[in-house]
Parts: sequence; structure tokens; C-alpha cells
Amino acid sequence: MEPGETLGIVGESGSGKSMTALSILNLVPEPGKITGGQILFKNRDVVSMTDGELLEYRGSDVAMIFQDPMTSMNPVLRVGFQIEEAMRAHARFDKQQAKDRVVPLLQRVRIPSPKERARDFPHQFSGGMRQRAMIAMGLSNEPSLLIADEPTTALDVTVQAQILELLKDLNRELKTAIILISHNVAVISSLCERVMVMYAGRVVEEGPTRKVFDHPEHPYTWSLLRSVPRVDERRHERLISIQGMPPDLARLPSGCKFHPRCPFKVERCAREEPPLEEVSPGQDARCWVLMSNVTKEAQALKT
Amino acid sequence: MATSVPAPLEISEEFLAPVSSEELPEQVTLWQDAWRRLTRNHLAVVGLVIIGIFLLTAIVSFVWTPYPTWRQALGPTYQGPTLAHPLGLDDYGRDILSRVMGGAAIALSVGVGASLVASAIGIVLGLLAGFYRGKIDVVISTLINISYGVPDLLIALILVVLIGRGIQNIILAIAITAWLGMARLVRGQTLSLREREFVEAARSIGTSNTKIMSRHIFPNALGPIVVQATYLVPAAIIFEAFLSLLGLGVPPPSPSWGGMASEGYKALQIAPHIVLMPCLALSLTVLAFNWVGDGLRDAIDPRMRR
Amino acid sequence: MSRGTLIYAAQRLVLITFTAIAVSSIVFIGIHQLPGTALASERRNNPASEAALLHRYHLDLPWTQQYVIWISGLVHGDLGESMVYQGTQITPLLLREVKVSLTLGLAAVLVTVVFGMSLGVLAAIRQNTWVDYVASTTAVVGYSVPSFVWAFLLILLTVSGFYAWTGGTIYEDIGWGKPEQIPVPALALGLPYAAIVARLTRASMLEVIRQDYIRTAWAKGLSSRVVVLRHALRNALIPVLTILGPLITGIITGSVVIEFLFGIPGLGKEFVTSILSRDYNVVIGVFTFYAALVGLANLAVDLLYPVLDPRIRY
Repeated sequence: MEPGETLGIVGESGSGKSMTALSILNLVPEPGKITGGQILFKNRDVVSMTDGELLEYRGSDVAMIFQDPMTSMNPVLRVGFQIEEAMRAHARFDKQQAKDRVVPLLQRVRIPSPKERARDFPHQFSGGMRQRAMIAMGLSNEPSLLIADEPTTALDVTVQAQILELLKDLNRELKTAIILISHNVAVISSLCERVMVMYAGRVVEEGPTRKVFDHPEHPYTWSLLRSVPRVDERRHERLISIQGMPPDLARLPSGCKFHPRCPFKVERCAREEPPLEEVSPGQDARCWVLMSNVTKEAQALKT
Repeated sequence: MATSVPAPLEISEEFLAPVSSEELPEQVTLWQDAWRRLTRNHLAVVGLVIIGIFLLTAIVSFVWTPYPTWRQALGPTYQGPTLAHPLGLDDYGRDILSRVMGGAAIALSVGVGASLVASAIGIVLGLLAGFYRGKIDVVISTLINISYGVPDLLIALILVVLIGRGIQNIILAIAITAWLGMARLVRGQTLSLREREFVEAARSIGTSNTKIMSRHIFPNALGPIVVQATYLVPAAIIFEAFLSLLGLGVPPPSPSWGGMASEGYKALQIAPHIVLMPCLALSLTVLAFNWVGDGLRDAIDPRMRR
Repeated sequence: MSRGTLIYAAQRLVLITFTAIAVSSIVFIGIHQLPGTALASERRNNPASEAALLHRYHLDLPWTQQYVIWISGLVHGDLGESMVYQGTQITPLLLREVKVSLTLGLAAVLVTVVFGMSLGVLAAIRQNTWVDYVASTTAVVGYSVPSFVWAFLLILLTVSGFYAWTGGTIYEDIGWGKPEQIPVPALALGLPYAAIVARLTRASMLEVIRQDYIRTAWAKGLSSRVVVLRHALRNALIPVLTILGPLITGIITGSVVIEFLFGIPGLGKEFVTSILSRDYNVVIGVFTFYAALVGLANLAVDLLYPVLDPRIRY
């Protein structure tokens, strides 16, 4: 990722998006573990970091916020303390500085009466406020990268919009790179410059958001987009749901992992898994067929 | 597309064919399933074996022990374990192994007896309190709440002093302090079960209250009841030992384990085996019952179904 | 302490007082229905002194009147006079003994909480390793072995053991009065309950560690020590608090036997001796003290809830 870039990761439940995010922090829960490859942060490999280096790296170089704000904060500790703690765990700010930064941070994330709120406990906050507090916690050490795993899924729609606005502004002001994980295509397109589509634990398409969503090359991306109703559609198009279910990651099909559900598959798809290749400037896809080659069939399905 | 009148629903033939017996999952009753899970629990099985051994010992002791439990001066007093007397001799020269065997009979009698009596009382009163509510419930709930404030041993002590020290009296005294716990459990179960639909259904066809309690509510509460009753046994055994140590247990020369420990206490440092042998037997029995109780509790717990 | 908590505490204290009086009354009435009098041993004396004795203890009055006298004494804190040791006022006697029992009891609770929680936390963070299996089995064995057996073992270990190992120079007899005599009976009392606490703490910790906020704590880059102690343990303590009440009642029960075995001059020993010697006034007095003690202990536990869990407020 480039500094200050916003990347979205979209996919169904079980596609591996959360695991990918957790692995960036080397927090894959047991019994899972990282078996190979590298994760490079500013040219240091996260996978081979020592415990001490990891403690410094987590929360300070890269921070992460999670889906359910109701359960993501410790119920017996004050909110202000939990934010302060995030800073005290690292070398950057000393005790007094950390304390002093709490209220301005809460203000930054637009929590009203921040001074009083800092002394409250999580159960005294509403869901939206809790998520803002989590964002404050994540940004407290001014990380280079903030990973947000489904930050709005547990919130209602109006609050969702506010949180996304907040993330957008913070990205602009602080130049913090953001990885936003969601299964909601609309959320991704409102915030992210680039998008990565995942299926069965693999990246199947990647590129600038506008380009990928306007001209998807992978059939899965195309199907995903077709299954979302769009306000700006003038013609009557059918909503197509994707036949079948995502595969059990322990028993994957041969060849391309999407082929059993793909309306455009050819014989090669069942045999060989396609590599992730550039299919147009800046856009990569993992497919033998590619949507740009089947425009007529795709049209037929749409009516 | 124009809407049209839907065609009459046609069910294809394959849904109507009877399911062959190989396709159905194996049917087991609640108890069969619980038994299977219990026997898969290693600790519980060991516990059952240990209890079985002690039970056998107890039964045998009624007919035979290596030496009479009451005969004294079989050798030098306080003698440690030897071939002739594998557990040694006590302060009166009695064979400890024989006495431990007799103690098993007493321990199991007291334990199982007190558990059964306490459970019987507790189940009946708990059912009545939970089912009828009203005055009975007020009385029993108040008793339960008061019982939190008074250590049960004190009450049992007073009872024993009042009604005497025979083994039956002791069983009674222990049961009187323990039934409240069972009543509390059964009352709770009854309160939730009586709201279930099958009770309403039974009532609607005119089933009498007694039948509802005995045929519908009681069997459904049986799981936790059995677990609680199992835990009551070692609790009663320990309770009797407490009483014996204070001089108020089953009276000598009966070889209750607590009594043996109590008598041997004065010689603890010169002849520890007199105290330790019955204590070992007691601890093993309690451990065994705890393992079985834990196993039963896990076997019955629906959340642990895989 | 918030205003709500203070009000709650005050309400409970009133309730405890009433319960103590109620228990006391029940025992009083119950005992006075018994056949025979307490002063049976004095019957050998001549009728005149017997009558004087009966009068002294109001036993020549109908029991209802005795009750009134008793209650009016009780609300002034006067529990009357011992029937066996004439001239001994009960209240000061029991107050002295309560201090002893409290020392022993608190030491036992300390053993229970410290040993129990340490073992539980250890088993939880090393779940399914040999550490866990050893710890968990130790716990089950721990509460299956009753307190008096622990007492015997500890006595053998410390008294005989030290004596033998140091060739006769160290010999501490069991008893009471010296601070070094506290650990052994406290351990004997506390170990079975420590085992129960260990089991519960382990289960509770395992639940807590699975929670989302623990994952957040890791993601913040907090060290394992901080995550376990500050985040996990504080939440795991809450379920343990719920059994603390019955646990304290259990320790009180056990203390009766332990005090007797060790010759410790506390309430428990007093209760046994007074029951055996038919000193009914003392019996009633001890009961009253116990009822009050258990009530206060449960109140203390309930007051700890808001401290541990800020979601609970009175």
C-alpha cells in the first residue's frame, strides 16, 4: 500500500478477509498460523518479527479496529483509560503526554463533551460513539495504517454514514492509510480508492475502485455487483443471486475456486487455477475467461 | 411479466416415499445418550470403579472381615503396617484394614441414606412450592433464604445432641440440613417447567395436578436432580466425619472413618497410619463421587452435545 | 461510595440485625421447649441453692417472660450470663472469641483467594498443556480432601516434619497465640475452597479470553502480562465473586472443626463445648453471633460487586 492510500477488501463471510487483516498484525488466532510468505511493513517482515518488536509494532505502526463496538471494549475499564493505555504501551508518548492526548482525540472523532465522556465506562456509550472511541484508540499513536474490519456492520445506517465520513476526513487530515474490510460494496465504494475482491481465501480481482466496479473483469465481482440493487439503474434489470454457496475452505474445488458457481466457465477453469494477472492498466484479475470477453452472454443474463 | 394464477401445488413423488430406515439417524433416548457420554468420560469411569470397589467392600464387610472390627489386642498397639495387618493396628490393637472395611459400610450407608432422604424431602417440597406457589412457597422460600445465613453444621450439631447418636439419627440430622438445597433446585426447575407447553397441554385434557407434577415436571427435572443427589453423597460422608471429629458422630466402637481418625488423632505424630488410613479411604471415596458427579453433569448438559 | 450504595448498605444492615434477632429468637424458643433444664448438674445441691440458681437465670418464669427479658437484653447487646461458668458475661467472652475466629477466617479466605486464583489463571493461560491437566486434577483432589485431612497432613508435615529435619531444634506445637501458628490451620481451612475457586477461575478465564475486547487489547500491542492481569482477570473475577458468599459460610462451618482440632479458642470451639455442656445461653449467643457474621460477610461481598463491575450500581 502507498502512504495515505485507502484500500477496500470486499468479499463474503468466510472469504478470508478478516484473517488477512489479522495476519498483518500477526494476530491469527490459534489453531491457525502463518505458514509462509512475507508481510512487509516499510521493508520489515512482520512474520519474522520478535515478540518485542511485535508489541511495539501493533497499535503504533499499524492499528486495527473491529466489527462489534459493543464487545470490543473492556467493560470494566474507563474509556479514557483504554485510550490512554493504547499510547502508554508504546515508547512514543510518556505518561503525561498520553493522558493529555485523550480528550483532544475524543474531540477529533466528534464525541460530544469529551472531558466527561473520557471518565465514562463503555456501557454508557451508544454504539456509534463506541466505534468512534475505538477509532480514537486506533489513531492515538498516529499509525501509518489503520485496518477497519467491518466497522459499520453492527451499526444502523445513519450512524454508518457518519462513521464513514469520519474515516474519510481522518484519512485526509492525518494521511493515515486505511484498509476497510466489508461485505458491503456500497460502503467500500464510498471510501476507498482501491479495492481488492476476495473469494475462498484468494484475491480474485484488484484495482482502482471506480474501474473495478464499473468494469469488473472477474465473474465473481461482476456477480457481486449484479446482486446489489442500484438507485441509478434506469432499465429493469434482474437482481442475480449467485447460485450455490461459498466453498468450505478445508475442501476447495480444483482449478479456479469459483468455477462451480460461475456462469461463464470453460473447460480449463475446472483443471487449472488462473494466476492473478494484470488484465488492464492498474487492474488485476484471476480468471481465464474475463468479463470483457463474454459481454454478449452477460447481457443475456441481465434481462 | 403478467401475473398469473399459480398452478395447484404439485409435490413430486420422491417426497412422498417413506424414508428407509438406513437414512434416519440413530434414535437414542436422553438417558441412553447421557450414559454413553458418561462412559466416555475416563475420570467418571474410574470414579464408578472406585465406588464399586468400596461398595463391594462394604457389602462383604457385613459377612466377613479379616479380623473382627471390634476385637482388640491383636498385636502391639500402634503397630504400623505388617503382612498380617496390611494397614496396621490402632490404639486398641484392632486391625485397621478390617475397620476401614466396616467404615466403608458406614460411610456409604450414611452418604447414600442421607442423600436419598434429603432428596426425597427436597423433591416433594420443591415440587409443591414451585407448582402451587402461594403459602407453601412463601414458607419454603423463607426457609431457604434463612438457611443461607446459618451454617448447617451448627444445626446438625444441635440436632444430634437432641435426638441421639445412632447411625439412623445421624442420617436424619444430615438430611434435615441438606434437604433445603435440593428443594431450592427442584423449586427452580418446577417454576420454569410449569410454564412449558406440555404442561399446559396436559392440563387442558384434565390431568390432575399430582399427575402433572409426577409424570411431567419431575421426569424433566430429573437430570439436575440426579447430579445434585450424587454430589450430596460425599458431602454427607464428610459431614459425618465432621461430627465424628467433634465427638458427635456414629458412636464407637462403630468403625466410621471419621471416628477412627478422631480416635487416632491423639497419636497422630507417633502412629500416623491410624489417622491416615481411614482418611485415605474417605478422600478416595469423595474423589470418586466427585468425578462421577462431574461426569453426570457434563453428560446431561445439552450444550455439550456435539 | 455512591449515595445509592450507602443506602443499600444501610438497608442491608437493618435486615441483618433483624435476621440475627430472628435466628436468635428461634433458637431461644426452640431450646426452651426442650424437656429438662440446663442446670441438671446442679441438682445435686440442696433445693435452696437450686432455687436461687433457677431464679438467677430466670428459669423459674414462664418462657414467654424469659423471652421478653432476653430480647430486651439483646437489643442492648447483652447476651446474658453463662450457665456453666457463673459470673461469666457472655457478650465480652464471645467478642474475644470472635476476634480469634475472624483472624483465622480471614487468613483462610486469603489462602483461598490467592492460591485458588493463581492456580486457576495458570491453568487457563496454559490450557490443554500438562500444566493445565496437573492443575485441574490438583483442584479436584483439593476439594475432595476435606479440611481436617489437610489439617492432619499439614500437622505431620510441619510439626513432625520440621522436628525431624532439624534434629529437634524447631518444635512448634499447634495451638494459638503466636503469629506462626496461624498459617497451618488457615491452610487446612482454605485449601479445599482454594481448589473450588481455582476451578471456577479457570473456567471463567477461558470464557473471558475468548472475548472481543481481549483481541482489541492484543491489537493495541499490550504485553501478555497486562492483557491477562488487567483485562482478563478483572472480568474473570466477577463470577468468582458470586460464590464468595457461600464459600465464606463454608469456611465458617469448617472453622468449627478446625478450631476444635487445633485447640483454637474461637467461636466454633465455644459452640461445641457449650453444646456438650448444655450451656444454652452461650449456645444462643454463639448462634446470634454467627447469624450476624454470615450476614455481614454476604454484605461485604455484595458491596464488592460495583467495585469490580461498573455496570452494577445500587
